[in-house]
Amino acid sequence: MNVAEKTHFIEADTLIGKRIQKKDAPEKAAGKTRYIQDMVLPGQLHAKILRSSRVHARIVSIDTSAAKALPGVHVVLTAADVPDQQPIGVARDHLPLKGERVRSLRDEIAAVAADSEEIAEAALKLIRVEYEDLPIISDPQDALKPGAPLIHPEPHGADGKHLHLKPNAPIAFAGKPDNIAMQFDYTHGDLAQAEAESDVVFEDTFKLHYVTHCCMGVSGIIAEFDASGNLLMYSNTQVPFLHKREFAEYLHMDPSRIRIIQPPIGGGFGSKLDIYPFEVICIFLARAAQRPVKMVFSREEEFLASPTRQPVLLTLRSGCKKDGTLTFRQVHTLHDNGAYTSWGATTPFVMMQTFSSLYRVPACDYHTTAVYTNNPYAGSFRGYGNLQATFAIEQHMDMLAEAIQMDPLEFRLKNAQDAGEVTGQGMKFKSCGFKECLTTAAERSDYQAKHRDNIVHRGDAGPVKRGIGIASMLHVGGGAKIYPSDGCGTILKLDDFANVTLITGASEIGQGSETVLSQLVCEELGLPISAVTVVNNDTAITPWDVGVHASRTTFIAGNSAIGAAKKAKAKILAAAAKKHGCDETALDLRGGFVIKADTGEPVVELARLMRNLHFSDKAELVMTTFYYEPPSVHQDKGFKGDVSAAYAWATQVVEVEVDTDTGIVKMTKVTGAHDVGRVLNRLGIEGQIEGGVVMGQGYALTENLIVDNGVTRNPNFRDYKLVTAPEIPEMDISFIESMDGEGPQGAKGVGEAPSICIAAAAANAIYNATGVRIFALPFTPEAVYRALHGKAEKPQLQAWKVTTT
Amino acid sequence: MTPIEQYLAPATLDEAVGILQQGEVTILAGGTDLMPQSKAGRLAIKRTLMNIRRIPELKGIALDNDAIRIGALTTITEILNDPLVKEYLPVLADACDHFASDQIRNAGTLGGNIGNASPAGDTLVPLIVLDAEVELASKPNGSVTTRRLPLAEFFTGPGRTKRAANELLTAVRIPLPKAGHVARFFKFGTRPALDISAISIGIAGVIDNGVISNARVAFGAVAPTPIRAARTEEALEGRRLDEATIEAVASAARDEVNPIDDVRATAWYRKELIHNMTKRILDHVAQA
Ligand SMILES: Cc1cc2nc3c(=O)[nH]c(=O)nc-3n(C[C@H](O)[C@H](O)[C@H](O)COP(=O)(O)OP(=O)(O)OC[C@H]3O[C@@H](n4cnc5c(N)ncnc54)[C@H](O)[C@@H]3O)c2cc1C
Repeated sequence: MNVAEKTHFIEADTLIGKRIQKKDAPEKAAGKTRYIQDMVLPGQLHAKILRSSRVHARIVSIDTSAAKALPGVHVVLTAADVPDQQPIGVARDHLPLKGERVRSLRDEIAAVAADSEEIAEAALKLIRVEYEDLPIISDPQDALKPGAPLIHPEPHGADGKHLHLKPNAPIAFAGKPDNIAMQFDYTHGDLAQAEAESDVVFEDTFKLHYVTHCCMGVSGIIAEFDASGNLLMYSNTQVPFLHKREFAEYLHMDPSRIRIIQPPIGGGFGSKLDIYPFEVICIFLARAAQRPVKMVFSREEEFLASPTRQPVLLTLRSGCKKDGTLTFRQVHTLHDNGAYTSWGATTPFVMMQTFSSLYRVPACDYHTTAVYTNNPYAGSFRGYGNLQATFAIEQHMDMLAEAIQMDPLEFRLKNAQDAGEVTGQGMKFKSCGFKECLTTAAERSDYQAKHRDNIVHRGDAGPVKRGIGIASMLHVGGGAKIYPSDGCGTILKLDDFANVTLITGASEIGQGSETVLSQLVCEELGLPISAVTVVNNDTAITPWDVGVHASRTTFIAGNSAIGAAKKAKAKILAAAAKKHGCDETALDLRGGFVIKADTGEPVVELARLMRNLHFSDKAELVMTTFYYEPPSVHQDKGFKGDVSAAYAWATQVVEVEVDTDTGIVKMTKVTGAHDVGRVLNRLGIEGQIEGGVVMGQGYALTENLIVDNGVTRNPNFRDYKLVTAPEIPEMDISFIESMDGEGPQGAKGVGEAPSICIAAAAANAIYNATGVRIFALPFTPEAVYRALHGKAEKPQLQAWKVTTT
Repeated sequence: MTPIEQYLAPATLDEAVGILQQGEVTILAGGTDLMPQSKAGRLAIKRTLMNIRRIPELKGIALDNDAIRIGALTTITEILNDPLVKEYLPVLADACDHFASDQIRNAGTLGGNIGNASPAGDTLVPLIVLDAEVELASKPNGSVTTRRLPLAEFFTGPGRTKRAANELLTAVRIPLPKAGHVARFFKFGTRPALDISAISIGIAGVIDNGVISNARVAFGAVAPTPIRAARTEEALEGRRLDEATIEAVASAARDEVNPIDDVRATAWYRKELIHNMTKRILDHVAQA
């Protein structure tokens, strides 16, 4: 018997690709997670906001005297009480408290902080507001008509003193001579020539509706000033570091005096990417009350006053040759901005990528005009314009294929991108599993045969028709360089027992980032997941990160965590080599031990080594930091440039049954193939994709925030229909592992991808089933029934031809 | 902040009707309509809030001569699971199976569904085509008296019934269906669960040698109250379910209803659904 046989060798193992339970799952499943709703600070007051009862009006007077006199009321604020308020938001066009004009029904006029929510509510009822109605714009096409009423004519000052502009005072918002909030223009290739070469050209207008995020955790904030005037906020934000800086600007404060702590967040999906009036108002109340003030929305308020997905009217012209080569795309969109500008107006950043680069297209010409209306305003929402763009482009792909009598899958494969391509927009596809996504999803769903059969059976007796539809998407999968840095910092610390504290700038908003980051660290350090504690919710502790958006956290924060773990590992192995007199390159970390890399033979228990390092005369702690900045570039003025370090691809095939007697579309199956780079946490990625599919299904079939002349008609879950469990289709999800060279362990971002194709594929499936093409979402039973009976209005977009030359 | 001055939870029927007699009382059963409506400001709770859930006389399902009596406090879940209902009144069980969610079914009661008098109340349409009667109790002069009213005549408008302020709805009585009795219910919502009917249809009758008699047709959510459709019944009565009859009945149904546009559906679409689904129900019965 030799020594080696007695020694316990540690075999190589990996956590990558395993099914790992989310670290926060037990707490959440047990109902023990303490959300902002559950927090109570000593001395805390409760705040409520009085919103406009008019869609568009001049405020003649506000009388708060009765509210102020109500016992239990501490503070009542109106615009007149906060002359230093600054316009907020993406275009700095939005004063938190409105003193002169309300532009939508969500508009904040006054706010109350009181001993209880009930008292605050009662106080709101005592506030008298006199209005003078102004003409309403609720159709974005009307906003561009000559002589249309203006929504933002007046400028706002930035001198910190006056709502009105003083002569020569600096201007924060200049006012708008028209209703145009933002415009985007992009072009590549020779459009005229490409069009001349086309054998088939389609032009159609698509209409995309309002939906909203419906986070389980409604919006909320607690704000508190300490005796030195430092501001502490408990906030659900997805972007704490950007907000810290922005709040400092709005409050004329030194950013170092602002600290943001994020309690566990009950869902974000993009809704918590902008600063909203309620947050600034709550801070004003806390400043005035000198007490902590908590403000949490009711569900109705969440529907009325949190942002929506960007509604879009979109005209697409597409052409191809008889041989199936795409020739050009021309796009004009009209974005209904709502009354103020938030991230919705900037969705063209993503939309134009889909038009220019999802398929190879020699010429692309893209234009967006975002206009002010008196409707609710649109923000960012998982997919960021890509659901809208994909809805149009993938319907046209089917229409072109049909016109040249080519199989829709073959047509797509002929024009699909490959690895190594540089698109007209300057995106470089280093890894690209697009064609494999297409063939995998098509094969696993038997797409081609079913597609042909369904057409044959359209005319059969019986009300229920079956259809199958395909759609694909391209989305950033390696961050997006929008801000000066797209990076993330990590601090990593090992204690005397070889437990790791991973301090990361990346927020957990339910997407599973804590778990996947722990996994990546453990993979480097040879430790079990349970050895990691993640600290990720306090701007006073965590290093900088740009925030949770653009499907970037696993990629960017993952690379950052790996960087810190690699540094720790190098330090540990060097120390072990020195102590045990061997070459550090011959050592590795595995199962909580330093081992010999070739045999797996343990050299020293890691915890013991850590203690030896710590409790020696030359005490050493293992603590490392790393900042990862992806190798992407900012776009130039023409929106060209390789904006992401990697790109994600997916194809989804949707199968439906259309009941032609009722218009009910039942989604029976979704077959998806996702190029995710590499699967890290299989359980996490499955959850992410299944949840995303359901969100896409809601967008396609049931969800519809009905906005009627500026009034939201269904601000509740009774009439705003989320998908419920029995409607969720069977899912068959394949992962295409393209092993991205820059990605953490080869992975790419996947957060937004799964929602993007569903509506487009559903549209193609309904056409396959019935021969009727529907250009407007959502496919609610009545809308489908109308379309089947020729009673659907085809969307039209006249405005663009007038405004662009 | 709330106008409620007293909360009472009587333990007997006698006590409860005594309290009602004093006036200004709001009755609370499962609260699944009452609470959301009062929170939304659509309904003001009166001076006294009376919880009737402790009254045993209001519970249970039993055979009572040639009728089935369902106590007002019976929950939707209890109806769904009851063997008598399954055997004799499967159409009512079917309606309960399309009702809300488990949580709501466990709390919501039959009496509440009737008392709420929504045109979209899901038990109302099947109960009407089953010729159900409501039983009302009161204590006008010291002793408890009851009266019965056909359910089809009970509703006077949205949220309004012929129940007098001093009356408590104690039960629903449904005559035992005759041999050959067939009844069907259809509810249309945009999703299979947790939805409020955009329209609902109840059809019943006795089929003898292929001929329909005692035809009953009722519709929900197409008028201020659930309605019995006399002209549609006429088109069905005494007929065989052939293609021509089915089309005639479906067209009569479409012409007879006069729905409105709201966030759930337009009037046009409701009429189309009434036609198409009446036809589908009858097609299924004819094929069975
Ligand atoms: C999420 C949700 C989903 C729902 N889905 C459905 C659905 O699918 N279909 C449907 O039909 N309904 C639905 N409802 C409505 C509601 O659940 C039902 O109407 C239920 O039957 C009401 O019963 P309850 O015991 O809760 O009534 P309560 O809310 O207690 O009372 C309702 C009304 O009836 C009165 N009342 C109650 N009992 C009596 C009595 N014995 N005598 C006199 N008056 C009385 C009350 O004063 C009140 O006005 C839903 C409600 C919710 C919240």
